[in-house]
Amino acid sequence: MNDDDEFKGLSQLNVPLPTPEARRRAVGASLMAFDRAQEAQKKISPADQGAGGTERLMSIVSKLKGLWTMDTRRYLPAGTAALALLILAPLGYQLYSTTALTPAKPTIIGVPPVDHTTLPKGPTGTIEPRPEPAKDGTPPVANTLPAANGAYAGNADKVSALVKTETDQPQTGTAPQASPKPADEERQDEAAVLASVNQSPQPSQVGGLAAPTPEPLAAGKPMPAARDVTSVDTLADADANAPVAAQVAPAAPMAMHESVMVPPPAMAKMSAATMGARAATQVTGDKFQNFAESPQKAVATDPVSTFSIDVDTASYSYVRRALNEGRIPEPDAVRLEEMINYFPYAYPAATSASEPFKPTISVFPTPWNKGTELMEIGIKGYDPPITARKPSNLAFLVDTSGSMDEPDKLPLLQRALGLLVSTLSAKDTVSIVAYAGSAGVVLDPTPASEKSKIMSALDNLSAGGSTAGAEGIELAYQLADEHKTDGNNRVILATDGDFNVGISDPDQLKQFIKQKRQSGIGLSVLGFGEGNLDDETMQTLAQNGDGNASYIDSLSEAQKVLVKEAGSTLDTIAKDVKIQVEFNPATVQSYRLIGYETRALNREDFNNDKVDAGDVGAGHTVTALYEITPVGAAGATPTVDPLRYGQKPAVPQESPAPTLATGQSAELADVKLRYKLPGQDTSKLIEQPVTPAMAVTDIAKASDDARWAAAVAAFGQKLKGSDYAGALSYNQIKTLAAGARGTDPDGYRSEFLNLVSLAGTLSGEAAPTQPVHEKPQPPAVN
Amino acid sequence: MPEVQGGVVDAAALGAADVGTLIALAQGGDRRAFGTLVEQHYDLIFRTAYKWSGNRADAEDIAQEVCVKLATALASFDGRSAFATWLYRVTLNAVRDLQRAKARRGRNVQALTIVSPEDQLPDQEDAAAAGELWMAVRKLPEKQRDAVLLVYAEDLSHAAAATIMGIKEATVSWHIFEAKRALKGLL
Repeated sequence: MNDDDEFKGLSQLNVPLPTPEARRRAVGASLMAFDRAQEAQKKISPADQGAGGTERLMSIVSKLKGLWTMDTRRYLPAGTAALALLILAPLGYQLYSTTALTPAKPTIIGVPPVDHTTLPKGPTGTIEPRPEPAKDGTPPVANTLPAANGAYAGNADKVSALVKTETDQPQTGTAPQASPKPADEERQDEAAVLASVNQSPQPSQVGGLAAPTPEPLAAGKPMPAARDVTSVDTLADADANAPVAAQVAPAAPMAMHESVMVPPPAMAKMSAATMGARAATQVTGDKFQNFAESPQKAVATDPVSTFSIDVDTASYSYVRRALNEGRIPEPDAVRLEEMINYFPYAYPAATSASEPFKPTISVFPTPWNKGTELMEIGIKGYDPPITARKPSNLAFLVDTSGSMDEPDKLPLLQRALGLLVSTLSAKDTVSIVAYAGSAGVVLDPTPASEKSKIMSALDNLSAGGSTAGAEGIELAYQLADEHKTDGNNRVILATDGDFNVGISDPDQLKQFIKQKRQSGIGLSVLGFGEGNLDDETMQTLAQNGDGNASYIDSLSEAQKVLVKEAGSTLDTIAKDVKIQVEFNPATVQSYRLIGYETRALNREDFNNDKVDAGDVGAGHTVTALYEITPVGAAGATPTVDPLRYGQKPAVPQESPAPTLATGQSAELADVKLRYKLPGQDTSKLIEQPVTPAMAVTDIAKASDDARWAAAVAAFGQKLKGSDYAGALSYNQIKTLAAGARGTDPDGYRSEFLNLVSLAGTLSGEAAPTQPVHEKPQPPAVN
Repeated sequence: MPEVQGGVVDAAALGAADVGTLIALAQGGDRRAFGTLVEQHYDLIFRTAYKWSGNRADAEDIAQEVCVKLATALASFDGRSAFATWLYRVTLNAVRDLQRAKARRGRNVQALTIVSPEDQLPDQEDAAAAGELWMAVRKLPEKQRDAVLLVYAEDLSHAAAATIMGIKEATVSWHIFEAKRALKGLL
């Protein structure tokens, strides 16, 4: 309540009055469109008559399924559109050139989207005005049956009926319509029938009106004729009553002239200007969790660092997309650990499922900061042979809200899931549930061997509407539960950020997912598109569901996440994996964990098996980097001063074993790793000290993987404007990365090099050594 | 009901006719009724578009777009919700469409322009509409923005906003809550 004051200011804005010209232009344009709509209806109607009422209605319904989607913006029934084009193309062009607004819309072509908007397709619909009648799911056929008797007040037929009541009826070309039977062509019939559905709540009103006022309606009817002359003529014909003609006639030419006379260049200019203005202020609307970078910590006071591993890679895909579109991504969108973990690393893999990890540790000089060193901790999960892979039971929960109706969303999603399905075997089961828009079970649990059935179910998904598909998520879990296997049971939520999955309270949703995870069904999230993306919720849900969140921006990314890394995405080999590093104050002065800010854990959480942490899938690699300042490092910026008083007493307390074994005192740190095997509740520990032998003094001697991780970290830090980024230029980062590219069989690393160049160009930092291929360097950038 | 004189509704009567009548007439193909209806609601549409977009040029574009759309979409208006509610929805959809279309085009333009369009001075009205709070609210994700503006700028109840947005009332409250959280630093 008291919070309400925050937005109180919003009621204050004084909206300026619209200018009379703009108003006239708009009204004129709308009247033109109105005429088009009426005329299109009239012209098309006589084409095809005579089918029986019931039959036609049935055929409408089935025909709609194949030929129509509710989105009038993009799809038109081919035949009708062609006919309408033939008849109306010149008129359409005229309107097009005078409104300069929405060239592709049927309004302009002249097809009456009247009908489109009311098609009885149920909640799948997406149309400009959200279809209310569809919501309750009342079968439109039932409604329309009585209407077919002619007792309805559908658009054209109502007009026809009214026309018929007139005594003198000289209109040409409308005679067939005046027949009492609704014997029009199918399309016409749809319009009429559907219009009657729409108007059903107020039939008495319509009827009541119709009887006493035949003239205006009759007069209105001939109006659609495109030329003023015609309309005036017909008006005069229709009713000899001069005042009527006088009243209506001026309106028509006015509308015509107003809209025709608007000089198109002026409109275009205005649009260009406003478009430009928008470009500068445009923000993506995507949501990211805010976080501060982990600070430098003194080993004397904080010798232990604990975090949960994170195998997500969504951030890198998002960053890549932003850069390719010519934007520097929001700082919070750049999560270093996800950037680093995007790439495959050639760490030696563990050999058995019972001890699924083997940490690889190396220490080498920091490329962006003289005097500090990077400590790289790499782990690679056990990768079971393909034959040993457990059956998967996947329930896709697919967002079909209206906002998914963009090429990089639902269509990409369909292809992406198609890719995933193609990798599954007969042991695996797939089911599909749609939520928002067309809600409900799209595909009951089906063995993955029936690929064509699954594919056609995927193909039939269509985006539309914003109706809350209430129990979407529960439905998906229910299906997953029905066919639970001893292997991998998982709900895969694919969305562009609409988490209206049926449980609207986010905490409740989290709880629900957590609960289901405990019962053995995980959740992974695939993010699509942008503008609506809610990265934070995506991450949170996936974390609660023991799954990962991936951002799919292209088919090749889908290939990477869902096919190449299908194992790691789907087959969990260890869960709740935590890493704890204890630094040796004798050798390390301070340290800083790079990335993992959103994954930090308390020191005591490490041994607490109740505390949830990240999961590792088959063959997954995870890399963590620490920037450490060795004791007495020359040239290091001492970011944390040693304590004058606190240190001495602290040491004996913290380490009660004062006599360290030889070699132990020279160690830099001790790395501990805790994990649970799938299905177990107690964790196991892997421990590995970091010895001086693991350190190299020249970065050139570090492994390719180590240098690569360092380059990615440097890039991420620079992109997000990190305080610790140092003075490396994009060009230097690129050089560093290029030297560490290795074989790069899938081209991920080469792609990264291009991104670095792109970022250099976009940020205004020249990248002279190599021309940027994707974008010719615009002269504007200095 | 409009006044009936010898079977002819005169213009004045149309002007005075209630919205339901105008809609029924327009749905039946009455051009004047439709024109009157659009005339009567142009201000509402423009005001809404202006509040959402924050500048006159966009608001005019959007309003005209909505008017054109009405010509065909009106047939689908079924009287289940109030006309104004329905009109809000059509308008908000148009706002969304225009802004998305511009965002798509804009991104590439932005990367290549020398002179930032920001340099153009907004006219005075637009400057007033560009208050910090307004700017911040308009930059929210669409649903949050719609919820906040409907409830606070249009002074509607959560329930009314829910009807317009086609979502549950609780979801509206949630969007507003999220918006407050997102803008915490600013307000």
